[in-house]
Amino acid sequence: MQEILLSLLLTVPLAAAFIALFIPSTMVKIFRYIVIIANSIQVGILLIILNGYKALGGLQFVEHRQWFTLDLGAWGILKAEYFLGLDGLSLPLVALAVLVMLIATISSWTTVKNTKGYYILLLILNTAIMGSFTALDFLLFYLFFEFMLLPMFFLIALWGGPRREYASIKFFLYTLFGSILILIVMIGLYISVHNPSESGRLVHSFNVLHMTDATNFISGSILDPNNPWMIGIYNARQWAFLLLFLGFAIKLPAVPVHTWLPDAHVEAPTAISVVLAALLLKIGGYGIARIVFPIFPDGAVHFGWFVGLVGVISIIYGGLNAMASKDLKRLIAYSSVSHMGFVLLGFASLTTEGVAGGIYQMFSHGIITSMLFLLAGVIYDRTSDRTIANYSGLSIKMPVYTALVVVAFFASMGLPGFSGFIAEIMVFLGAFKSGSIQGPVTETLAIISTLGLIIGATYYLWTLQRMFFGPFNLKGNTATDQVYDLTQREYVMLLPLAVATLFFGIYPQPIIGIIDPFAKHFAEFVLNAGKNLTLNP
Amino acid sequence: MTDLSVSLEEIAKGINSFIPELILSGGVLLLIFVGLFKKVTPSMLTFVALVVPVLSLLVIVANWSELSVPARIFNGFLRTDDFSSYLKILFDVSCVFTVLMTWRRQNEQQRLSEYYSVILAVLFGAHLLAMSMNLIMVFISLELVSIGSYILAGVSFSRKGSEGSFKYFLFGSTASAMMLYGFSFLYGYTGTLDFSTPAFAGEILENHSTLLLIASIMAMAGFFYKVAAAPLHLWSPDVYEAAPFPIIAFFSVVPKMAGIAILTRFSLALNAFGQSPIDWQFILAIIAILSISVGNFSALGQKNPKRLMAYSSIAQSGFLMVGIVAFSANGMHYMLFYASVYMLANFLIFNYLQSFDAMGMDTVLSFSGVGRKLAWPMVLTLIGMITLTGLPPTSGFTAKLFIFSSLWEAYQLTGKSILLWLLVFGLLNTVISLFYYLSIPYYAFIKGGETDLKTNNLTFENLFGLLLVVAILLLFFNPELLMGWINKINFVL
Repeated sequence: MQEILLSLLLTVPLAAAFIALFIPSTMVKIFRYIVIIANSIQVGILLIILNGYKALGGLQFVEHRQWFTLDLGAWGILKAEYFLGLDGLSLPLVALAVLVMLIATISSWTTVKNTKGYYILLLILNTAIMGSFTALDFLLFYLFFEFMLLPMFFLIALWGGPRREYASIKFFLYTLFGSILILIVMIGLYISVHNPSESGRLVHSFNVLHMTDATNFISGSILDPNNPWMIGIYNARQWAFLLLFLGFAIKLPAVPVHTWLPDAHVEAPTAISVVLAALLLKIGGYGIARIVFPIFPDGAVHFGWFVGLVGVISIIYGGLNAMASKDLKRLIAYSSVSHMGFVLLGFASLTTEGVAGGIYQMFSHGIITSMLFLLAGVIYDRTSDRTIANYSGLSIKMPVYTALVVVAFFASMGLPGFSGFIAEIMVFLGAFKSGSIQGPVTETLAIISTLGLIIGATYYLWTLQRMFFGPFNLKGNTATDQVYDLTQREYVMLLPLAVATLFFGIYPQPIIGIIDPFAKHFAEFVLNAGKNLTLNP
Repeated sequence: MTDLSVSLEEIAKGINSFIPELILSGGVLLLIFVGLFKKVTPSMLTFVALVVPVLSLLVIVANWSELSVPARIFNGFLRTDDFSSYLKILFDVSCVFTVLMTWRRQNEQQRLSEYYSVILAVLFGAHLLAMSMNLIMVFISLELVSIGSYILAGVSFSRKGSEGSFKYFLFGSTASAMMLYGFSFLYGYTGTLDFSTPAFAGEILENHSTLLLIASIMAMAGFFYKVAAAPLHLWSPDVYEAAPFPIIAFFSVVPKMAGIAILTRFSLALNAFGQSPIDWQFILAIIAILSISVGNFSALGQKNPKRLMAYSSIAQSGFLMVGIVAFSANGMHYMLFYASVYMLANFLIFNYLQSFDAMGMDTVLSFSGVGRKLAWPMVLTLIGMITLTGLPPTSGFTAKLFIFSSLWEAYQLTGKSILLWLLVFGLLNTVISLFYYLSIPYYAFIKGGETDLKTNNLTFENLFGLLLVVAILLLFFNPELLMGWINKINFVL
């Protein structure tokens, strides 16, 4: 059973999509049930996985099969593998993905036109996301990574808001640009790396784990750590690090390549915003932790300060933009940019605390931001208006809604007791400690990053005050009777998230326990290997 | 002087390896002859035109073990080997597809027997070109391909068709003249017409001069012209716009691949295993970069699907040339893989463009909103477009991955920075190409618009399209199917 659990996780949505393809599009209800059944099966699989996962067991639930092999004569053998596995980095994200996809389905239960196409695309997207988080073969990862683009493009472009065409194309072009940069380095890596377990002939594989070991690089190849080529001012490995980092930073997104995100979020339908913010952004962070840093530890040490700086700029600049946003969804989108900056800062610190904090931040942000976008969707469903200035005193008409908004806002600004706090405090610990272990992040950067908390508090509290308190008043074209409190379906989708952020804020150990062994190994490995490679090239 | 009996013997020996070409030339004559009778229906003509390339294909496959052994026939004028045999299979399959695309619209073509016979003649020329090792033979077969193509470009007998055909003819004859001029210099330098002999390479290496460089580039101009590589691409948008869809699909594959084949052999000969003092890698890389960028940037503004695909095919020529630029066996193998995938995707797209055109959709704008009515055809077209862009999960991605990995490898071997530029530039062009490749699906699915089309999913086009899509996807999930075969091909001159 263990050997096929991950494949099952991937194929269930794909199979559901295939079944849905043959059902006439008029039978709207059936699609919803197909999707919810697929999601429930995934939850079941996740529970089995969580039950069987051993925190100290390293890579687990591994599936290792041949995908294709090409005999290239004298040049060697090209081997692509179907290689899946879970560890402390991917398990929290897979868990998050399963949860968020379920909630995304519930949130689009009744609000979507042209149900068939929508759910089929959502299911394909689901497979691609799960695949990205579990694949350990670079080619396989890249396949899933790219395969997210098309469904997402159509989901935004067909079910989005007024400027959806602009937003969807922008999203597609930005992300494709990033993935081409990744592709360039991927080709170089597979040329330069051989599989050590195969004796005799040279076997070029895409195995990410092999790429992290400096001894597996073929001597004389461009990316060989012992003798990297110089291209201009940097050597080839440093270029490769920068290209990969930029590729994933676009997805993350980090300032200054973040501009696709506010547009995409504002135009996307609620459920798609949730998936985009909670899961797709995480693949950027995941890629940095899984691929960029471990494969190029020398680059991570050399450019760590730069990664940290980009993180801090994202924290501050994203926060300031959020403060200036007039649209509620745009505000949340910029707050995401700000929060993903913490992930970068945590990773760049190369300390156990920082890395664990970064991963925890990805998990926690996934929960909190889902909740925020769902809450923005709730008010948009009622009034078709997201302009902050058009509301005041909503707490009088919508008390429960307001309570949940307060929870989400406080969680997002990192108040103690919520999961965001745990994540951010760990990132700060790591960032301040980094200097003392000769890590790349300086204390100045760490101090500046704390400003992010104050900015976060400012825009959230200010929004609370403007929209929810004071006398009840609606501007714009909205009638007062359109505003009513939460429905049953909305409770179902919001309450679990609220409980989750509180629970993981008070008792983070279940997740920390999973993350910690990975973070510890990651931080030590990257710092030591990076320094070794830099000192003795 | 060879004795008559000796040369007769030589010819008799060569005939054995020449059966596919004999079938084709017989087919040309048969179609002309059959067309003289009034009683012959279009269906019978189509049937004959279908059977001939299939027969040729079957003969090649049946004699693969024999044909794949390199052998010189007809006194060294031609050479049979696995490289040319593979390409000939590709040509024959393309011809079968072209006839299939014509089949449902055979009654629209007034001169069907001539139409088919010229297609077969071009196919015959392409076969010869893939096997040519002799400058005279190269010229003859290139002209056979070209003259047939001039006729086919004007086969719609419209004003536009005549214009396109005439432009094609003028450009083509200039390019041929240049090529011939180049050949004459090469002959003067080397004293041999057979460019595969060591004598040719030896003389080239000894007599290095600027004139030789100019002569070689002039000789190559004819091939660049056939391939539609920049800067000799100017004819292709006009010709594509004027010709009927099956012919465009045919043009975008058969003459182009024949040009690529001869370009491969010729540049391998000139490069002389890297000993040549002229940096052919550099020159070809420049041409590839030019073609990719000219094709992609010009395609961005196109409103006519035919012109759009014309510019796309210019850019794709650039990508195909990446395989030659690598100057390695891997590069050539990957190029053949790329060519096969490109052939599938192009026929997929043109098959649908033809049926859309029949419904009145002849500009990109006119596709607005048809995606809801024509969901299946549009989705399959989208897959074709993604294949040409090179995104997973289509074999277009696999092909790009392969061909650029051979380039990276070449860079690692030589350290020439132009190769790195080609790599980065070529791949980043994918982002630009996405913009226009997606334009038709974009209008169809995302732009609103009312259509009163009647739809029928059970059409020949859909069956044909589905088969091509299955092949495209299959080659992504299991590229071994084709690569296992291509990898055995040798590249010794």
